Amino acid sequence: MEADDLSLVSKAQAGDAAAFRALVVRYQRKVYAVALGIVKDPDLAWDVAQDAFVKVHAHLGEFEGKSAFSTWLLRIATHLAIDSVRRERRSRKDDLDDVPEETLAEGGEGILATALGNDPRQNLLRRELAGKITDALADLPEKHRTILVLREVEGLSYEELAERLGIHKGTVMSRLFHARKKMQAALARYAGLRPASEADSKGEEGEG
Amino acid sequence: MSDCTKIAPLLGARDHELTAAEAAALAAHLASCDRCRAIAADLAATEGMVREGLMARANARDFSTFADEVMAKVGRAERPGLFGWIGRHRAATALGTLIPVLAAVALLMYVRIEGGREPALFELSSEGEATTVLQTADGPVVLLAEDNGS
Repeated sequence: MEADDLSLVSKAQAGDAAAFRALVVRYQRKVYAVALGIVKDPDLAWDVAQDAFVKVHAHLGEFEGKSAFSTWLLRIATHLAIDSVRRERRSRKDDLDDVPEETLAEGGEGILATALGNDPRQNLLRRELAGKITDALADLPEKHRTILVLREVEGLSYEELAERLGIHKGTVMSRLFHARKKMQAALARYAGLRPASEADSKGEEGEG
Repeated sequence: MSDCTKIAPLLGARDHELTAAEAAALAAHLASCDRCRAIAADLAATEGMVREGLMARANARDFSTFADEVMAKVGRAERPGLFGWIGRHRAATALGTLIPVLAAVALLMYVRIEGGREPALFELSSEGEATTVLQTADGPVVLLAEDNGS
């Protein structure tokens, strides 16, 4: 797979448009998924994904194959998506890294695990929730959306996340954890699940 | 409580992502904390859902025009013809631009070496166009004026 990418890249570098088009087709959905997770809006995600390919094409000559082509492409897509979100909401600040203790105290721990379980019949609920994922993601601040998308869609490790986002590994772990907690709170709301301790989770409190 | 705050972020790590000390602290804490075990169970139950959900959205969308749109944008981004070539071969172009300059410098050095004295420069004007004549030991050299330096 990877060797195939590299041979397409070297053909594209030599001016072979069909080879570049093949790379576009191969990665278009993944790039779009990453962009969608970060920018939320499907049409904006479409544009961001296309811009990522255009930018990659413009800089093909600089690609030396030190990392995988897909890593390079998704790195560019991520930057464009984050830029696009930040341009849209210049005035708002939701990039605080400090996580208040209340986030842990949102309550309802185990509620999703219980609801989803390992019972195959429950896969329906899981599928339903996956269908709500963009709505649930949209409830999160940009930095939490971004780290979740990079971790889950792109599959980056803690080290790679630290490098990509320019933060320390400790910050990666805490940001990712709180992103997941918020995500779970959002999913529980969509699933109609409520924590036993509170009738309604306070949801967007704290660092949002 | 504050133990949970410190330990909980270690949940969700993949193999080899925690240091040995972190892994040991996590295991010890989980053994005695129901709450963090419940959090770990939630994380395990929802692992991969973001990927599944986003890829499902991407797969549900019609991408039949995507690649063509990209290729059209790529084509537009590349300037056509000579300018496009220049854009792709900036180093060669820069060298090309330098050639006349280098030639002029070489000529001047030749004149200085040959002449052994400052060459005399004077201008002629004919039909509104100025022409510089370089007086060298070998006789006058007419430097043809270029109207627009490129």
